[in-house]
Amino acid sequence: MPPILRRVLAAFSPGVGIIALLAVAAAVALLLLPQAPRERVQFWIFAKQHQAVYQSLLERWNREHPGMRVEMSLVNGAVMDQRIMSGFLTGTPVADVLEVERSMAGKAFMGPIEDVGYVDLTARLKSEGLLAQINRPSLSPWTSRGHIFGIPHDVHPVMLMYRADLVEAAGIDVRQIETWDDFIRVMRPLQQDLDGDGRIDRQLLSYSPIDPNGTEVLMLQAGGRIFDDQEQPCFDRPGNAAILARLASWSVGPHQICRYADYNLASGQQLLVDGLVVAVMAPDWLCGTFKQQIPGLGGKVKLMPLPAWERGGRRTSVFGGTMLALTKASLTPEEDWEFAKAIYLSREMATALFRSTCIISPFKANWTDAAYDEPDPYFRGQPVGRLYVRLAPDVPRRTSSPYNPTALLRLSNCMTSLVAYAEERRLSDPAALEAEAQRLLVATQRDFAALVHRNAFLRAPAR
Amino acid sequence: MNHPPGSSPASRRTGRLLAAGALVHGLLLACVAVTLVPFFWLVTSALKNKTDFFASVFLPRGPGLFGVAWDRLTLENFHRLFAELPMLRAIINSFFLSASLSLVATLFCAMGGYALAKYPFRGRRTLTACVLAAAIIPPSLLLAPGFELIWHLGLLDTYAGFLLPGLAPAFGVFLFRQAMLNSVPAELIESARLDGCGEVRIFFELVLPLVRPMVGAFIILSFLGTWNNFIGPQLILQSVDHHPLAVAINNLRGVYGTDYGLVLSGTLVSIAPIMALFLLLQREFITGLTAGAVKA
Amino acid sequence: MKTPSSAPAVRSAPPFPRWAPWLFAAPWLLVFGTFVAWPLVRSLMLSFMQTFGPGTTTYVGWDNFRYLFHDPLFYRALWNTFLFTLGSVFIQLPIALALALLLNRPTLRGRSVYRLLFFLPSLVGLVFAGVLVAIMFEKRTGLVDAGLHAVFTRWDPDFPWLEQYVMPSLIIAGVWLYAGFNMVYFLAALQHVSSELLDAAAIDGAGPWQRFWHVTLPEIRPVAGLVVLLSVAGSFQLFELPYIMFNTTGNPAGPDNSALTVVMYLYQMGFMSGDLGYASAIGWVLAVLLMGLAALQRWLARREEY
Repeated sequence: MPPILRRVLAAFSPGVGIIALLAVAAAVALLLLPQAPRERVQFWIFAKQHQAVYQSLLERWNREHPGMRVEMSLVNGAVMDQRIMSGFLTGTPVADVLEVERSMAGKAFMGPIEDVGYVDLTARLKSEGLLAQINRPSLSPWTSRGHIFGIPHDVHPVMLMYRADLVEAAGIDVRQIETWDDFIRVMRPLQQDLDGDGRIDRQLLSYSPIDPNGTEVLMLQAGGRIFDDQEQPCFDRPGNAAILARLASWSVGPHQICRYADYNLASGQQLLVDGLVVAVMAPDWLCGTFKQQIPGLGGKVKLMPLPAWERGGRRTSVFGGTMLALTKASLTPEEDWEFAKAIYLSREMATALFRSTCIISPFKANWTDAAYDEPDPYFRGQPVGRLYVRLAPDVPRRTSSPYNPTALLRLSNCMTSLVAYAEERRLSDPAALEAEAQRLLVATQRDFAALVHRNAFLRAPAR
Repeated sequence: MNHPPGSSPASRRTGRLLAAGALVHGLLLACVAVTLVPFFWLVTSALKNKTDFFASVFLPRGPGLFGVAWDRLTLENFHRLFAELPMLRAIINSFFLSASLSLVATLFCAMGGYALAKYPFRGRRTLTACVLAAAIIPPSLLLAPGFELIWHLGLLDTYAGFLLPGLAPAFGVFLFRQAMLNSVPAELIESARLDGCGEVRIFFELVLPLVRPMVGAFIILSFLGTWNNFIGPQLILQSVDHHPLAVAINNLRGVYGTDYGLVLSGTLVSIAPIMALFLLLQREFITGLTAGAVKA
Repeated sequence: MKTPSSAPAVRSAPPFPRWAPWLFAAPWLLVFGTFVAWPLVRSLMLSFMQTFGPGTTTYVGWDNFRYLFHDPLFYRALWNTFLFTLGSVFIQLPIALALALLLNRPTLRGRSVYRLLFFLPSLVGLVFAGVLVAIMFEKRTGLVDAGLHAVFTRWDPDFPWLEQYVMPSLIIAGVWLYAGFNMVYFLAALQHVSSELLDAAAIDGAGPWQRFWHVTLPEIRPVAGLVVLLSVAGSFQLFELPYIMFNTTGNPAGPDNSALTVVMYLYQMGFMSGDLGYASAIGWVLAVLLMGLAALQRWLARREEY
């Protein structure tokens, strides 16, 4: 060894040696790792359940269209959210075709309409006659200022999933239930302190003021609005306060009927399995998730339309949603469009999607599918697809405002404040809470409007 | 207070001392248990299938030795981790980014520290003040403009975009300056110059070996810092191919939701290399991590 | 290697070439100029702008700061960060000090093993810790509730850590992660406490508590001040832990914004909403706060010397 090298090595502690070795080894490995060849069309999805559904179609498509091969990648929702924004705002690589969840879709609508990073599909949908075939309300989350930026993936009506075994054991007849008041009255015997510690363990409904989605589902069902038709915030609209007051009375005090089983967490799933929550507001996708993740509930649960807020009222709501969108950055717009139609329009895909995820198609033509009528043993033989399809035309319209996720969080803050107020004053009557609810909503409206109007880019063209 | 009065020869004190010693060990062992339980839980969770994860807190109960169903433990989670996910790529990325960054950063910081400690040149005071100022800037202040700059340089989603800004952290320069002030005598450098040694050779052959402990400590410190860095790679390294473990683990959790066995085995794989390195190089780790004290 | 004895001390050394220090400082200077100094200037400029990603900017004057000072979310973030900091200083550091006191006996067997084990959690990156902590603090199935319920049967296995006790769970996680780390600082300081002084106090009849209060604590005060400052500065940067814990729920700020920290708010505004200007304004307010705290600490330390 040359003496100079030896002297330099003298400065090396073992740590330096090990790390130098690691650096070299990792660099070599990176150079040797095969770079997967990039296919022509990049397709990102965020839901693992969709992956298996699309896989077979994708393979066939790639066989039949060697010139426009598609590569599918599964990306975490939060990461996709950031990458889409980064792609639109800074030009980092982004997919050609993407499935976008509702909570992230709106952000792209923040700037001027011509700057939206997604391709405006309105003209194509109209000229190819597709628009009329789609369940009308299911387009609303993807429509900004009259322009449609995605093909809806789903309808996602909400039903009430309940523990049929517990209900039957208690001799309860759910056919008596039309409204939430009926639900509470009829189900009341199931509300129990099971371990005898003086605390009620089993509650009737999974809901919590800290869950913005639950609040939105119930509010949409009741006809409450956070954004008006011009997409401006309207927290303080009459009617909203009454809904919040009802929900608060459900959450605390002598009228409490709710306990939170967050089924995104294993702990929440366990609460359902243990029968500590009788009913859950369940969109179609949740049925699929439960069948996959909670086999223990199989044969124990059934579905019924959501109880209405008043007699003759709406028996469903809507929760979640995904669109298929094309990005303007794509170099292959025609291929993208062909592929998009292939995976979203076909009856075969709709059937496959339903079979593996319970999600019903937004294309009315697919609603006659026999798969929707198959009895499902998980739900004691109910024809799950048919039940949801019947409710599909009634799902409420939704906003596409980029500020909706923030608005929901603010609404959730209102709810927690209201519940704290109710707890502190020992108020349990919704009527007694309404004034405070209205006060909170007005204050939230003021703060929130300040946030929305701060946006210099949206403000400028309005002047 | 904790110095036992060992100088006192009284024999009845020995009994009390023993009791006190047992108490201290008892307390310490309780603390050790609390410290280690999460690690033990992490390892057992990664080895269990989904049903067993919820059925038992630690090891699945069964007829085996110590009432544990050893045969139900499985490597399935690890298998899936590498088969279904780009985990191998993430591990290599983490090693590459951490190792290369820490090597170069150590060299650059040592050089900078040497210039400030051992050369009386015009502008030294200003530069030292800059180093001090840069060392106390909260890193989050530079996030937004840093991101904008990387974008202007066209370095978004490249390894360089992540590595370049970290190549010479100010507090490293400061640490080396202090180390060199303390352990490199000026006479040594002067006599080397008299013997006709070049400046670069003096640095590599004379100065660096003298601050060897700091070299070892700092390289470990930057390795650990880079390995555990999340926000930097999350913002700069966008494609899956470039993700280090810190970003990959967040993706894993987002996609696999309640598949806790899989998520936790990913976590275990992510922290195991650091733990191994720590057991190999404990002294450097502890010196390196606590060297931050000199910083302020 | 040349040894110093081989060179006669009387000869005057030749001066170093003028380029030498600049050559050694060059890499740092380049990085500093490009990635610290310029972004710092730019961040000041940005804080008077509104942006939609780095590509679209517009000058808005004092708008960002005006909005910031009336932004309830910013105050919420500041409050949460402050609470976590309090937890670090008043819960985690005393635990670290107690551990150091327990370990600080030269005769203690297995001292270095204990030190090693306590140190272990601080190596776990906050991202990885976030995943671990999130699953550990789940009610019913998580390690914390299950463990507490197993030890104290009266403990509610459905204790809602992640719903209603977010800050306590973050602080507990902070203790697990960093108490052993800070213990090492205290241990180093304790080794410099003179045993003669302690013995003298013992002979004067001072009990253990008095000896700690009047001898040990004043001796380690400089290091303690430093550790407090470092903990405060570190706590103010809190981001990854709560972000990772809650981001899969779609709302990283946690239920009712109880996990929103200043840096998380900066991140969300800057990179999720694309407003780098507002993010810079938040960054400056944070920097000014931290520098104020550092100045306060120095002033207190100096006052104590008299």
